[in-house]
Amino acid sequence: MSREKPRIGVYICHCGINIGGVVDVEDVAKYVGTLPNVVVAKHYVYMCSAPGQDMIKNDIKEHKLNRLIVASCTPRMHEPTFRGVVEEAGLNPYLFEMTNIREHCSWVHAAEPKKATKKTKDLIRMSVAKASLLEPLHKREAEVTERALVIGAGVSGMRSALDLANRGFEVYLVENSPSIGGKMAQLNEVYPTGEKAIDALEPLMKAVASHPKIKLFTNSKIEAVDGFIGNFKVKVAVKPRYVTNDCNACGKCESICPIEVPNEHDFGLSKRKAIYLPFPAASPPIYIIDEENCNKCGKCVEACEIGAVDLKEKGMGMEIGVGTIIVATGYDLYDPPKGEYGYGLYDNVITLPQLERLLDKNGPTNGQLLFNRSTPKNIVFISCVGSRQEPGIYKPAIEGQQLNRYCSRVCCMAALKNALAIRERYPNTRVFYLYRDMRTFGKGHEEYYRKASESRVLFVKYKLEAPPVISSSSNGLVVTAQDVLTNDEVLAIPADLVVLNVGMVPSADASGLQAKLRLSRSADGFFQEAHAKLRPLDTALDGIFLAGTAQGPKDITDSAAMGSAAAARAAIPLARGKVEIEPIIAVVNEDLCSGCGVCVALCPYSAIKKDEQGIARVTEVACKGCGTCAASCPARAITVLYFTDEQIRAQALAALGRIPS
Amino acid sequence: MTFEPRIVGFLCNWCSYAGADLAGTSRIPYPPNVRIIRVMCSGRVDPVIILEALAHGADGVIVMGCHPGDCHYVEGNLQAERKIKMLKKLIAWTGLEPERLRLEWVSASEGGRFAEITKDFTTQIMKLGPSPLAGEKSDPNLLEGMLAAKAAAEDFRLRALVGRERELVEEKNVYGEKKLQEDFDKVMYDAIRAEYIRNRMYLMIQKEPLSVKELAKRLDMDPGQVLRHVVIMRRRGLMAVDRIEGTSPLYIALEVK
Repeated sequence: MSREKPRIGVYICHCGINIGGVVDVEDVAKYVGTLPNVVVAKHYVYMCSAPGQDMIKNDIKEHKLNRLIVASCTPRMHEPTFRGVVEEAGLNPYLFEMTNIREHCSWVHAAEPKKATKKTKDLIRMSVAKASLLEPLHKREAEVTERALVIGAGVSGMRSALDLANRGFEVYLVENSPSIGGKMAQLNEVYPTGEKAIDALEPLMKAVASHPKIKLFTNSKIEAVDGFIGNFKVKVAVKPRYVTNDCNACGKCESICPIEVPNEHDFGLSKRKAIYLPFPAASPPIYIIDEENCNKCGKCVEACEIGAVDLKEKGMGMEIGVGTIIVATGYDLYDPPKGEYGYGLYDNVITLPQLERLLDKNGPTNGQLLFNRSTPKNIVFISCVGSRQEPGIYKPAIEGQQLNRYCSRVCCMAALKNALAIRERYPNTRVFYLYRDMRTFGKGHEEYYRKASESRVLFVKYKLEAPPVISSSSNGLVVTAQDVLTNDEVLAIPADLVVLNVGMVPSADASGLQAKLRLSRSADGFFQEAHAKLRPLDTALDGIFLAGTAQGPKDITDSAAMGSAAAARAAIPLARGKVEIEPIIAVVNEDLCSGCGVCVALCPYSAIKKDEQGIARVTEVACKGCGTCAASCPARAITVLYFTDEQIRAQALAALGRIPS
Repeated sequence: MTFEPRIVGFLCNWCSYAGADLAGTSRIPYPPNVRIIRVMCSGRVDPVIILEALAHGADGVIVMGCHPGDCHYVEGNLQAERKIKMLKKLIAWTGLEPERLRLEWVSASEGGRFAEITKDFTTQIMKLGPSPLAGEKSDPNLLEGMLAAKAAAEDFRLRALVGRERELVEEKNVYGEKKLQEDFDKVMYDAIRAEYIRNRMYLMIQKEPLSVKELAKRLDMDPGQVLRHVVIMRRRGLMAVDRIEGTSPLYIALEVK
């Protein structure tokens, strides 16, 4: 392809005084005007304003400009704006290059205006070098399979699935555990309304289970994911349940089963059988045999009058095609290591979720706050267990793992809710609440905190450096704490029950999924969103979205909101029926390709495959343009459009003073 | 005039470039010596371009990417790390200080860290002084070394080794063997040395025919070792005997097609 001679227009923005107050923009414009291929070099107070944009559009026509540079803020800010301007003026939007002279220059070198001006000249010279080599690029379109996959059927996953289904899209909802409902099903009441959690959850579960557009797969795992936005191919493995859909949940099998194991629904506070219903409101309401503990005695087979127990049941695999995927895999509860605040050493040190079960009328004690058959007289809550861990003070739960530096966001309120419930139901029980900081930032939350104070929950603020200490005495446990609010007075609090406000940790099950979906995680281990502020639901992968606590700790309200929001995001490509593909992708020079396959193994998106001749082929829709293949290709046969070797090299040499040709 | 280092920075779009943006938004000052080039991923930075920048007199080159585990493209940053590891060893052969090249992880939220690293690297380069390859009179011997290094980085062997490192060390090769990192490092070390020396020899005999003895003298190497490289290079059609002086054949470079 013969290249037309570049005619570059360079526009230097003052950004009010943000740039103009530091950089000598006039001097810069004069210098830039002398660079090869530059036809116009102007400076203006606000390039992004309407008059600024019009100036560019007029100049493109008047001076027959075919490349454009705007030197202003970061491309994260206005690259789309100016690409739009360029396109409106009839130029290919990829013939535009942005020079960052605000964030990377005037704002950080305000004390050295001369050096900032020189740096600005260098940066623009680099852009001119790149712009001279830019080629027009074109977005492409691909067809979309108008179905979605939601992974995880907790609050956010169910919300996503239901919203998508109500919009008329078919949804596959895949849940790892035997019932939908998620962790909310294990809660007693929800704050700040005091509503029974299961009462709020059940209508949602019912709607999801009965929706004709939702294909529900419980007890199922994602095996493999291939493809790209619009055309994902997902392998799902349905694990054997050993009980068929004919089950009417009569419970005869359960009563005859000889095996008892700790009940995970009650966090080990009660027992269940090897054949069991996960919880009373479980959906689907079908029993399941827990493979690990079943001894295949066959008593349940005999007890089942309708022949629904099938010990020989095999799992099944299937492949589904979807256009978009929502990851709503939730969280795990922090599991304190033995000895943290006496956990695992004293049986009256329990976690907050265990307390929820004790207060739940469907729980192991039918909602009576009984611990070792009596109602505790003194209860101590300890906050920030497994959250906001600081090095030197806390140790990771598993040696070698990182500390949880983040706030889990729900424990303050969840503990307040339980503290208040105890004070209201058991006025003779004293409640001590040991906290580092109190975070009640949501709607109606601060009011709740006040109510807890008024109901005489005793708050003790401890310091990070002096966490409470649990010890045992002849009269039971003693919690020793230094109270910041009374000038570090040391309190020895007698406790019949200590409740640890454990936080959230990234789901262990999701780590396998991470590799299959090729998602990245942020430093805290939760799935990483595309942009912390402006794209909190998207992942780096087009067509894959995040909902709920898979992305980071949040409460039910936020999880539900995020579930709806992710559904809205995931519906866009489905509704459009087509997706646009960014043209910044890798291209292979077939003549140079040696067929070594290094790129195939390196591509994080399986976007490169070898054809019958052994030549590397890029699947354009799957390529994200990272360029690792290009920089690694032993034969140097690959480059990336918009970031070609030639362009990067030209920028580097221009940085060192070479005048671009 | 005080020395103002010229530093080229290659920053990944998602973490480090955004981190540099945040340093700006937070008005954290740092020395104005780094010229930033935006790439989509630190893994995009080709070793050849880094060597070219150094050969053209960059006083320092810094590559910044996402922290391990945070890579926008899963593990392009780790691929960048493998490339830089190889490059530092390769650069050491030329005589240029490998400290002129640095790799750092900076996340989008680490504006302060970006400024700190930039300051630190600039100070380090100030201490090293101007690159011997900068300015009008660059050291011809060193320049030849850099060109040999660049040629080595362009060749198939080192690129293939770097590109396959993860597979070889973390997965299994076609024979079902898993290489230990230290075994791999040894293979890599030998390959870097051999590729560097052969490319250097090639550049030397491109200018004038030379004997094994003369090559050994210029490379400060044992003639026996040089001869071994000559045998390999002749087999690959990279050099031929130009003429014989006394009993010594003089070798000349052949054009590679």
